[in-house]
Amino acid sequence: MAGVLDEIMEESEDTQKGKFLTFFVGKESYGIEIKFVTEIIGIQDITEVPELPIYVRGIINLRGKIIPVIDVRLRFKKEAKEYNDRTCIVVIDIKGISVGLIVDNVAEVINIDDSNIVPPPDIKTGFHNRYVRGIGKVGKEVNLLLDCDKLLTDGELDKIYETV
Amino acid sequence: MSREPMLEVYIFEATQLMEQLEEISIECEKSKKIGTEAINEIFRVMHTIKSSSAMMMFNNISVLAHSLEDLFYFIRENKGETIDFENLFDLVLSGIDFIKGEVSKIQNNGEADGSSEILVLKSSSLLRNMKETNAEIIKNDSTEQKEDTKHYISSYQSGDEEGKQKYVARIFYEDGCEMENVRAYTVVHNLKNIANEIYHLPKDIIESNDSVEDIRKNGFLIGFSTSERKEKIEEQLNEIIFLKELELLQVEEYPPELKVLKRKKEIILDQPIETMKINKEETPPLTITGKQQSIISVNISKLDMLLDLVGEIVITEAMVTKNPDLEGLQLENFNKAARQLRKLTNELQDIVMSIRMVPVSMTFHKMNRIVRDMGKKLNKEVELEIIGEETEVDKNIIDHISDPLMHLVRNSLDHGLEEKEERIASGKPEMGKITLEAKNAGGDVFIIVRDDGRGLDKKSIYEKAKLQGLVTKLEEELTDKEIFSNILLPGFSTNETVTEYSGRGVGMDVVKKNIDSIGGTISIESSRGCGSEISIKIPLTLAIIDGLEVAVGKSKYTIPIISIRESFKPKENEVIADSDGNEMIMIRGEAFPIYRLHRIFNIKTEVTGSNEGIMVLVEDNTKAACLFVDSLIGEQQVVVKALPTYIKKAKGIAGCTILGDGNISLILDVSSILDR
Amino acid sequence: MMKRVLITDDAAFMRLSLKNMLERNGFEVIGEAENGKIAIEKYKILKPDIVTLDITMPIMDGVEALKHIKAFDKSAKAIMISAMGQETIVREAVMAGAFGFVIKPFNEETIVKAFSKLK
Repeated sequence: MAGVLDEIMEESEDTQKGKFLTFFVGKESYGIEIKFVTEIIGIQDITEVPELPIYVRGIINLRGKIIPVIDVRLRFKKEAKEYNDRTCIVVIDIKGISVGLIVDNVAEVINIDDSNIVPPPDIKTGFHNRYVRGIGKVGKEVNLLLDCDKLLTDGELDKIYETV
Repeated sequence: MSREPMLEVYIFEATQLMEQLEEISIECEKSKKIGTEAINEIFRVMHTIKSSSAMMMFNNISVLAHSLEDLFYFIRENKGETIDFENLFDLVLSGIDFIKGEVSKIQNNGEADGSSEILVLKSSSLLRNMKETNAEIIKNDSTEQKEDTKHYISSYQSGDEEGKQKYVARIFYEDGCEMENVRAYTVVHNLKNIANEIYHLPKDIIESNDSVEDIRKNGFLIGFSTSERKEKIEEQLNEIIFLKELELLQVEEYPPELKVLKRKKEIILDQPIETMKINKEETPPLTITGKQQSIISVNISKLDMLLDLVGEIVITEAMVTKNPDLEGLQLENFNKAARQLRKLTNELQDIVMSIRMVPVSMTFHKMNRIVRDMGKKLNKEVELEIIGEETEVDKNIIDHISDPLMHLVRNSLDHGLEEKEERIASGKPEMGKITLEAKNAGGDVFIIVRDDGRGLDKKSIYEKAKLQGLVTKLEEELTDKEIFSNILLPGFSTNETVTEYSGRGVGMDVVKKNIDSIGGTISIESSRGCGSEISIKIPLTLAIIDGLEVAVGKSKYTIPIISIRESFKPKENEVIADSDGNEMIMIRGEAFPIYRLHRIFNIKTEVTGSNEGIMVLVEDNTKAACLFVDSLIGEQQVVVKALPTYIKKAKGIAGCTILGDGNISLILDVSSILDR
Repeated sequence: MMKRVLITDDAAFMRLSLKNMLERNGFEVIGEAENGKIAIEKYKILKPDIVTLDITMPIMDGVEALKHIKAFDKSAKAIMISAMGQETIVREAVMAGAFGFVIKPFNEETIVKAFSKLK
C-alpha cells in the first residue's frame, strides 16, 4: 500500500486529481482525495487527552510530531469497534493542520472521474452524513466521498471546543 | 551581483535607526532638552540614512535625511540658542513616519514612490527661521581654521640652493571623485615634506568651493622646488588617489601664472587645526542600551529550524541513553559518555533557547509614540510607566503581542483615562498614568496593562451582555472577572460613539484572538473610578522544563518541578472527606484539598485506595493542593511541545512531551487544575 | 597576494557595500569595526594593509581613530569615507596622514579607481 502511495505522491498535483484513497468503516466504503493524504500507518499507541469529544481519541507520536487522531466510526456515530492489526491511521493534512483518521482498514487507491460522481442525497431524505460531498461509482461499487474540510473544521466542532 | 542581502541589510538598519530616532525624539520633546549626545546621535542617524539611501537609489528618502541632517548640523554648531521643540520634533517624527512608510513599501516589494517634498520644504524653512533668529548669535568663523594656505614657505630646508630643482605639475582628477579642492590640498600638504616653496593655482583651495570647478576644468597647477629626484616626485604624485592625468615637468622658471603668486609672499607657518569644542551640556546621554553590541540579523525561519532540531536532539538523546535495550546492563564507559553528551545537549539547549528569547522592551517602547501622539490629539496628559522591560519572551510571542498591546493602550487612553477636568474634579492627578508591566511566573509570562482611569462600568457591561444573550446567570452569581470578560466577545461594545481609535468593539475580540493564537489567556480587573488592569498570561511555547513523571492508569503525566512542593505516600486515615465528598489532607497542621487525577481526567486505574498511590503537593501563586497519582516514575527534563492547535486547549493540560520510549506524556497545567 | 583591508563604519549597510565591492575587485576584507575605538583595537590585532575609516561614527570618529593608528603605525594606509560638506574634517584627516578619501555615496567604479593605487 505504502509503495503505491509513494508513487502517487511523486506525481504532480494535477495528476493527483480524481484519485481517491478508499477505506472501510463498517460496511461502507469511503473515499478521500489522495492529495490530502500524507501517509498511512498501522494503529499505534494513542495517548488520551482529557475533555475532548469522544471521537477525538487523543494524540500520537509520529516521528516526533504530535498528531491528534479521530476515530471515524465514532465521528459518524457508529458503534465503536476494537482495534486490530488491520486498523489503520490515515494521516491527512489540510491547510497545514495534520490529523489522523482511524479507519477499520484501508482498501485501495482508485480513479473516479468527475462524471462518475453524483451529489449526495438531500439531508431531508434521511441520509445524515454531512461530511459526504459526493457519491462515486466505480463499477458496482459505491464510495462515499468525504469532504475533508468539513470533517475537520465543521462549525459543530468549534462549538464543542469552546466549552472545553 | 545579488541585491537581496544589501536590501535586507538596508531595510533592517533603516528600521532600527528609525526606532532609535523615534525614542530619542520623544524623550527630547518631553524633557524639552536636547543634550549634545542626542544631537550627535540624531545627526549620525540622518547622515547614515542619507548615505545608504542614496546608494540604494532611494532618493526621496536621501533628500529628506539630508535636509534633516543640515538642520541638526546647524543645531549642533550653534548650541545655546532657543529651539522650537514642538515644531522641530513634529517635523522629525513626520520624517520618521515617511521613511518608515517608504521602507515598508520596499519591504513588501513595492516602490518607494512617496514624495518627501513637503517635509523637505518644511525642514528648510525651519532651518531658515532658526538661522534668522540666531543671526546675531552666530559666532563668525571661530570654528573655521585659520590656515591661509595660498602658498607655503615650509619648514622644510634641505640645505643649499644648488641641489634644488624647480618643477611644475598639472593634475587632473577622475570625474565624479568630488572635493577636488581638498584633494588638491592633500597634494600640497604631502609635498610640504619634500618641497621648499609651493605655488599653486587655483590659489584658494581651502576657503572657497569655487576652486572645485576650476580644478575640474583646468586641472590643478603646482609649481615647487625640491632637491628630490624626479623619479621620487613622480612616484609620490602617481600615488594620488583618483588621479586621472599627471603632467610633470622639470623647469628652469615657473610659468607666468605661478610667478605672479610668488611676488605676493607671505610667510605662514603650519598651524594645527583648532576644532572648537562646543559647550557640552550636562544632560545624560540618550544612547539606547545595546546599540553598541555586535548584532547580526538572522532569518527567523532558520532560527525556527534550529530550535526544532535542538528539541528533537534532546528527545533523541533521551531515547538513546534511556533506551529499554540497555536496561539492566552495566555500562560504565557508556554512562560516562552519555553524561557528557547530556551536559553538551543541555548547554546547546540553553544557548539556542536564549537566542529566540527577546526582551519585551522594544515592543513596550513602541508604545511611547502612540501615547505621545494620542495624548496630543485627545488633549490628555499621559505618563507611560514601563516595568520589567528586560523580561524575555520568545520572538514568536513578541510578534503576536505587539498589536494587542497597541489596542489595549489605545483603549486605556481613549476610554479609560478621563479628561483633565474630570480627573482634577475627582481628586486625581492631572496626568494620567498607563503602566506596562512584564514578569515571569512559573512557566508563564505575564504582560499587564494598567491605567488609573475611570474603570469599567460593571453594571452596564452586564446589562449589555444580558441584552445580547451572552449571559444567563444573575449578576450576583458571576464574579467581576467573569462579567468583565464579556467585553472580549465579538461585537460587544458599550460605546455609544465610535472614536477614531477604538472603534465599536471591533478591537477586543481581535485582541483575544491574537492572544489565543499563542496559547495565552486574558483576564480583566477593574475598579470604578480607580482604573482597570488587563493581564495577559502567555505560556512559554517552547520550553524545556524539569518535570516529574507520574503514572495514572496507563497514562503518563508530567508535573513541572517548579510547581511541586513535596510528594509522599499517604496513610489511609490521613485523608479526610467533608459532607460534599471533597477530600483533603492535613500536612503539618495545614489542610490541603485533594484532586484525584484519575477522576479529573477520567482515567481507568486500579489504584484507588489512598494508601496505594502517591500524593504530590503542588502550588501556584495563590493556591496549593495535593494531586493523587498512581506512582512516581522519575524526574527528567522534558521538551514542552504544544498540543496540536486542532485540539485547542484541553483544560488542565499545558502541553505534552515525547518520552524516551516514544510515548507521549501530557504536561499538567497546575494553575488551571488548582482553579477548579 | 591580496591586500588585506579593515573596514570601519557604524552602518552595517555601508560596511557590507564596501566589503562586496572590495572583495569583487581583488581585496581581502579581514575585519569590520563599528567605531573608531574598535578600529584601533582590531588594527593592532589584524595588522591590515589598508584601513577604511568613516568620518562620522559614535564613540570615536574616523579622524581621531586615524590619529591613534598613525601614532603606533606611521606607515598605516587609511582611506577616509566622507560625505559632501565635510571639507574641514577631511582636511584634518589629510593633515593627520590619511592616504586619501572617498565621498559617499560611492559606486563600485569609484571604489575600483580609488583603491587601484593601493593594490
